[in-house]
Amino acid sequence: MSDFRKFVFLIGVLFGLPWLLLIVVPVLKYQHLSPIAYDKEKDGMEGFYPTAVIHRQGQLVYAREGCVQCHTQMIRAAHLGLDAWRKGWGQEQAERAPEPIRSNTLRDYLSEPVAFLGIQRTGPDLANAGWRFPDRMKLHQSLYAPRSVNEWSTMPSYKHLYVVRKAQGPKSKKALDLSGKFQPAKGYEVVPTAEAEALVDYILSLKKDYPVPGMAPAVADAKKK
Amino acid sequence: MALPVETDIDSDSLRRAAIDRSVKGPVLFLFTNGAFWLMASTIVGLLASVKHVFPYFLDEPWLWFLQYGRLQPAHITALVYGWGIQAGLGVALWIMARRTGQELKRGHTALIAAGVFWNIAVTLGILGILFGGSTSIEWLEMPAYVWPVLLICFLVFAWPMVGMFARARHPEGFMISAWYMLGACFWFPWVFITANVCLHCLPSLGALGAGISAWYVHAVMLLFFAPVGIGSAYYFIPKVTGQPIASYQLAKLGFWLLAALGGWSGMQRYMGGPLPAWMPAVGAATGVLMLIPVGVVAWNYHLTTLGKHSLVQTSPSLRFTFIGALVYPISALMFALLSNYWTGAHLQFTHAWYGFQIVTIYGFFSMCIFGAIYYIVPRLAGCEWLSVRLIRNHFWFSVYGIGTIVVASLVCGMQQGSDINDPEKWNLSFSNVVENMRGYIVARAIAWALITWSNVWFLIHLMLMVAGLGRRSTAPTLLPDYDHEVPMQINTPAIQSNPPARA
Repeated sequence: MSDFRKFVFLIGVLFGLPWLLLIVVPVLKYQHLSPIAYDKEKDGMEGFYPTAVIHRQGQLVYAREGCVQCHTQMIRAAHLGLDAWRKGWGQEQAERAPEPIRSNTLRDYLSEPVAFLGIQRTGPDLANAGWRFPDRMKLHQSLYAPRSVNEWSTMPSYKHLYVVRKAQGPKSKKALDLSGKFQPAKGYEVVPTAEAEALVDYILSLKKDYPVPGMAPAVADAKKK
Repeated sequence: MALPVETDIDSDSLRRAAIDRSVKGPVLFLFTNGAFWLMASTIVGLLASVKHVFPYFLDEPWLWFLQYGRLQPAHITALVYGWGIQAGLGVALWIMARRTGQELKRGHTALIAAGVFWNIAVTLGILGILFGGSTSIEWLEMPAYVWPVLLICFLVFAWPMVGMFARARHPEGFMISAWYMLGACFWFPWVFITANVCLHCLPSLGALGAGISAWYVHAVMLLFFAPVGIGSAYYFIPKVTGQPIASYQLAKLGFWLLAALGGWSGMQRYMGGPLPAWMPAVGAATGVLMLIPVGVVAWNYHLTTLGKHSLVQTSPSLRFTFIGALVYPISALMFALLSNYWTGAHLQFTHAWYGFQIVTIYGFFSMCIFGAIYYIVPRLAGCEWLSVRLIRNHFWFSVYGIGTIVVASLVCGMQQGSDINDPEKWNLSFSNVVENMRGYIVARAIAWALITWSNVWFLIHLMLMVAGLGRRSTAPTLLPDYDHEVPMQINTPAIQSNPPARA
């Protein structure tokens, strides 16, 4: 019996140590993590960091559709990969970003129950996807008919989040602007459901590149222009 | 630790038969249901791979729930909880009872009930994933209401195992396989409670939550799948070859190193990300250090098998276990590649990660479990495996299938890594990533098709055995040995005769 107790004790200590240091203590410390105020003099802006709040209702749709399987939400530091320089992964969409996109910090995900950092990169990173889409309709179109945007896309069509209904009266403002083979039958129109709207709200709320207080004010300046 | 010399072979066999009888119901229940989930998982894995390349396959409006984002987690969940943990528990229970020489005294009904509830919970969890309840937390995608049920069911199985270990009054020699099983019984509930409480009960953990989920995945692999697989190989390699474990020192070293390292790993999955830098760094160091315990264990297996390699040809148990033991260092190598910052940053977020999961759960763990099942089931069901062809079919289709998945995923990972990180491609859209991946995913789909074929027959073969429709014979079903045309009876050591007590 004493052998048994010694054995269990040793297992407990050996596993308890990483459990305590890697999980329990960081979890307790995380509870005290709070937004920081920007210093108007140093950072050149007011308010709190992190600024943007994610759209939780849409995040639930994001979770249940399993978007994490193919999309990450995490910009790696520049020495580990090309993330910081990839076109369109930050605020700058048209050309090369003037500064590398900053890598993410713990506070960027402050209000989220569990951050969806992602499993694979089959599609582009979405950490700053909020900057990427010119308007809601474009995003709705990529969700409803991904191949109408990129014909090589292997993204599935989330058409179960949309309703094809008979067009009555003037064309609905919400109706998707589709062309070619993606069009619904004549006299019909495609409108998003509330879930699709929530998902779009969520994706557009992903802007995890606001400046960190006290760090690189030059970036903040560059971005304001 | 001197053993009483076993003079009476008959009474020893009777004792073994009594132990086997005592665990028969629960163990066979777990195996059969596990094999069912394995088949379900491979079919879903096949479908998910196809949908990954051709998203418009089976894309009818009423099949809205069949999309890659739902199929992939369902596939992994079925593999981990339906097959892996379930079959692992069955093997652990049998080995624990045999190794400690303890019969399962009471609680048969509780064990069967726990098995039933485990399967109900997994079913609900997977239906939940498919029909819109997925949490998208890796390996914990099942809706939050499922985990307490799974936890209780696991504890119902773990409790008698701990009791057997504690009651073993005359530890019969060296109990390394029982150590591993006991370790798994402690570690899994601990890891499982921690991850679920953190991710489902605490209000908000943000990026730390993602780190904890990665830690959970690694901890389950290193502290449940690895110990059960290693323990099973430590039991069956000596048992079938008839040679004692080569080095007890190495065996102990391997165990304690795994116990010491297993809990530190995981957060390197998000290297370069938002977590405090020391967390991924510790995980990365652990991932590389794991090569030591794995190497130690693999070397010990090798020394134990030395000189008896011809048995790999004939004994199904040893053949599967041998491959499992051989793949274990390969999986550790992939783990080191994924963990360190040099190659890991390149392979991060690529198919190499999927390949690593499959090589660990299927190539290493499941192969060891298959080996165990081929040994255990005839002793519990009272009949021998029906067909050599079916066993060979199961073996070769599995080996080729797994080999294809692992190689394709790793090479695909390198390709994908260079497509994502090549500075020349900074302004390209993702079209090159998507195009270049295609061939590898087709290979993966073909591999799952091969594995599905092998698993369907494995399930049928197993169900026939459990139904008592196996061969009535005293000679075990052995695979023909083409190299050495020796009469079969000579090639059946250790199974009928007195096995080494220290196995």
